[in-house]
Amino acid sequence: MEKKIDVRGLSCPQPVLVVLQEIKTTDKGRLIVLVDNETAKENVIRAIESQGWRVGEVKWEGLDCQITIEKD
Amino acid sequence: MGLFDFIRLKPAKKVAGNKGDKKGNKVDRGFLVFENTSEVIRAEKVLKSEGWEVRVMGPPPEIQTGCDLVIEFPLIEELKILSTLQKAGVSPIKVVPVEHPLLQPVELFQLKDFGQYLMVRAANMKLTVEKESLKIVNVSGGGCPDVPYLAQELINKPLKEAPQPRDLGFTLCGYALQLAYEEMQRQFKA
Repeated sequence: MEKKIDVRGLSCPQPVLVVLQEIKTTDKGRLIVLVDNETAKENVIRAIESQGWRVGEVKWEGLDCQITIEKD
Repeated sequence: MGLFDFIRLKPAKKVAGNKGDKKGNKVDRGFLVFENTSEVIRAEKVLKSEGWEVRVMGPPPEIQTGCDLVIEFPLIEELKILSTLQKAGVSPIKVVPVEHPLLQPVELFQLKDFGQYLMVRAANMKLTVEKESLKIVNVSGGGCPDVPYLAQELINKPLKEAPQPRDLGFTLCGYALQLAYEEMQRQFKA
């Protein structure tokens, strides 16, 4: 089961900083990031792509968005 | 936060000058009105690179033409400044002596330390840098159409090597991001 990083409720730029800290300690694999707004989603995606990760599925459920990120 | 929340009313300094307004008051500053923000940013860059002391300000409410920013300049240098701008292809649509208070951008930086990261907020824009690598890790805020592009161009670049936002963006957000960028540079020089 993938590790979940829940950054809902955090204000910008904290969602990005939390995710960056997490992927620093994860060489590869698959992680789920939970955000609760469009801006955080875009910022997180931009940040992880700059670190060589790619975005898998992006799924909204109500106000929450689940982003799957991967690196081989 | 609104786009202009960082601009607050502050009376322009009255300094004795060599020109008078319609009421005979001495004025020594004027402002240049441009068609759009993009031209203001270009003109500021041109004038500063030529060594002129100019400032980007909010105009008084009675100015109905032009964009939401003007450039304040020393009125005594009007002809030389207009000539410089004309050569650069960015002439103002209007030149007005300062007779009324300008809406002046006041100190608008907010710093937040996140431990390994430092964030500088300038007006409506936030810039975050990792302290150890000095790489830009996040650009956010605004609401202008060029923010995603600015972010794309700046993120993951070392502060020293990153392009200047004013060279990439042509909106008020780009201008605010430039201020944040310059403040961040000052923080790490100190």
